[in-house]
Amino acid sequence: MSSDPNKNHKTTLCLTVEKDRVPAFLPLLSQGFTVKTKVGLSIRELLCSQLGLSTDYFEHRLQTILLDGKAVDDVRAAVVCHGSTLALSAAMPGLAGAILRRGSVYASMRHQITHKKNAKNEIVKEGTIVLKLFNLVAEDIGPMFLMQGIWIRGENLQDFFRRAPDYFWAGCRAMEIDDTYREVDKLVHIDWRDQQVFLKLEVK
Amino acid sequence: MDKILRINMGNDGGPQASEEPLGDYTGLGGRGMTSAIIATEVPPLCHPLGRDNKLVIAPGTLSGSHAAQSGRVSVGCKSPLTGGIKEANSGGQGAQVLARLGYAAIVLEGKPKDDTLYKVFINKDGVEIIPDNSLKMRGNYDLIDKIKAEYGEKVACISIGPAGEMKMAAATVAFTDMEQRPTRHAGRGGVGAVMGSKGVKVIVMDDSEMPTRSPKDPEKFKGANKVFAQGLKKHPITGEGLPSFGTNILTNLINEAGGLPTHNFKTGRFDGAFNLSGETQSEIMKSRGGTVAKGCHKGCVIRCSGTYNDKDGNYLTKRTEYETVWAHGANCGIDDMDAVAMLDRLDDDYGLDTIEMGATIGVAMEAGLAKFGDAEAAINLLKEVGKGTPLGRIIGSGAAVTGKVFGVEKVPVVKGQALPAYDPRSIQGIGVTYATSTMGADHTAGYAVTANVLSVGGTVDPLKPEGQVELSRNLQIATAAIDAVGYCLFIAFAILDQEDTFNAMVDVLGAFTGQDLTADDVVALGKKILDYERDFNTRAGFTSKQDRLPDFFKTEPLPPHNVTFEVKDEDLDQVFNW
Repeated sequence: MSSDPNKNHKTTLCLTVEKDRVPAFLPLLSQGFTVKTKVGLSIRELLCSQLGLSTDYFEHRLQTILLDGKAVDDVRAAVVCHGSTLALSAAMPGLAGAILRRGSVYASMRHQITHKKNAKNEIVKEGTIVLKLFNLVAEDIGPMFLMQGIWIRGENLQDFFRRAPDYFWAGCRAMEIDDTYREVDKLVHIDWRDQQVFLKLEVK
Repeated sequence: MDKILRINMGNDGGPQASEEPLGDYTGLGGRGMTSAIIATEVPPLCHPLGRDNKLVIAPGTLSGSHAAQSGRVSVGCKSPLTGGIKEANSGGQGAQVLARLGYAAIVLEGKPKDDTLYKVFINKDGVEIIPDNSLKMRGNYDLIDKIKAEYGEKVACISIGPAGEMKMAAATVAFTDMEQRPTRHAGRGGVGAVMGSKGVKVIVMDDSEMPTRSPKDPEKFKGANKVFAQGLKKHPITGEGLPSFGTNILTNLINEAGGLPTHNFKTGRFDGAFNLSGETQSEIMKSRGGTVAKGCHKGCVIRCSGTYNDKDGNYLTKRTEYETVWAHGANCGIDDMDAVAMLDRLDDDYGLDTIEMGATIGVAMEAGLAKFGDAEAAINLLKEVGKGTPLGRIIGSGAAVTGKVFGVEKVPVVKGQALPAYDPRSIQGIGVTYATSTMGADHTAGYAVTANVLSVGGTVDPLKPEGQVELSRNLQIATAAIDAVGYCLFIAFAILDQEDTFNAMVDVLGAFTGQDLTADDVVALGKKILDYERDFNTRAGFTSKQDRLPDFFKTEPLPPHNVTFEVKDEDLDQVFNW
């Protein structure tokens, strides 16, 4: 589940943090964030043409792709629709990791959860998708999304701040909520639940 | 590594050690050695805790050399959990030290005359078997501290905790890591109970002044080993993913795929998975001053382990592995990483299989002994096991027994052994291996080490559903061979993807043994091991009826994809048809 930016109770949170604190935010990306983009495109078109990933990165790093929880083999045929959830991962260990890789020689071992529905004649239009970035992929491209800003569920942010260790807070330098400066100390006391939050990081 | 150490614990006049040449077991290592000895020497119908069972501890054929990633050690016996043959393997320092001491195997045999507890000390001068009842019921951590004070900081230990002494069917054999912590375990099948039945608490090994094992062709070996290690370092899984996040890198992905067994295999997704993920775990470790990227033995270049500190920054346990995080986490509905780490610590200390314990507590929760998600109750159940209360002894006997005692229908076991962390309804090919493995449900029995490199599974079209049986068969064959060599299974990814790394591995083996090995040799070795194991199990009374998953996998659809296990029984029966 992720945030729907079209719903009410939208809040913008701009955080200025020290550079070495950015990785602390990366696990947040694995819970999913909402991206406004053109939909009705193949996974490859969406990630490379719309979201700006290089084809080299796409071909070599994104070894495991799940669309709506199903393992994708043909990234040129699988179409991302409005409301889809797209999870991106590097190659993973274990037999399960090998099985889930796209085009895996072990793909037959998970054919029940292989993405097979390739929407034909899907209309290309503006829409939203939920993107989940895991492991090395989050490390690689997560900071880019965090700097651009992401829509996330307030519940996730609330939980994230609640669990943040002391050292994390020392690296948070400034905060603006809806363009209004606020003390960073107040951050942990704000109730983010029932909100859709546009989180944007700036690095000092 | 040219001799076998046999210790007869039932000898009149006290335990007696003897050495013998390898004889018919020449050329075997690891799982090849353990399964050959058990199949040849142990009566299949004997009681697992009785006189006639044997506990075999065997390093891989490359162990004790400078070969990278060659630190696996196998422990074999007739399993008190499954009633069949068992090989459980482990990392840690044990394989390297035992091999340098010159032993291809230690065999504990016979039945002790009384309940005296022994420690065994092995060094360059020989073997001592010393009665030491002061060790009774010590946890592994406390035990190793005592051994360290007595023998110093260079020895490696093989030990059991209270669970092994109490002969529980989920008991492990522990191996110390590079920091002399008892964090690596031959976990599955109750091998610790068999060690306990022999009256041996700990084997202390000191390889001072013992040379590293030499290859037949040192120059070729050195060059190939360098290329092999470089191949591991440059691969994204072995060079980046595993060092950064450990095996728990899998949690997010398996959860997203709907294959993470949750609430005793009720669903395939866990709402709290994020809090247990490798990404979250690594951030916690770093924030508390824990070490990320650490090997469990010398010569490890992958370094998938690490240290997990408590909130005060004190060492609690090693980087908890994916299987453990799943078993004690999602399977029990617990999303608190600190609680999971504590359960891991208790498992290691008591000497218990984390997979079996997590699955068993899940069954106990299904029975109503605790609520799913209640971490404190899970910890208390595990402490019951450590104390050996009647409830604890039930839990410590594993999921199958616990399910029977409390009348639970949904018990996730094959051949009495709990299923690991991948739901076979989502990833059906793994289900084939779970069902047919000679070991009971075991995720490592058919690892991803074949296909394009050994050309034994490459003819299967990856995008068609047919061929799962063939793939499982080939994976099980290749895995048995790798288990015999002593290589860590995590080399699989680099040798799958990088032809030069695979060739370097073959060259390392060839240069070490002085033989030119081919893929056919590897396949023949794997088949030979599986033949030993199947033959033993057949004579122990196993039939095709034991090569099945529990019925609920066929009848209860697994959310979110609502899939059931569809592989037919007659297809399962073809896995070992060669």
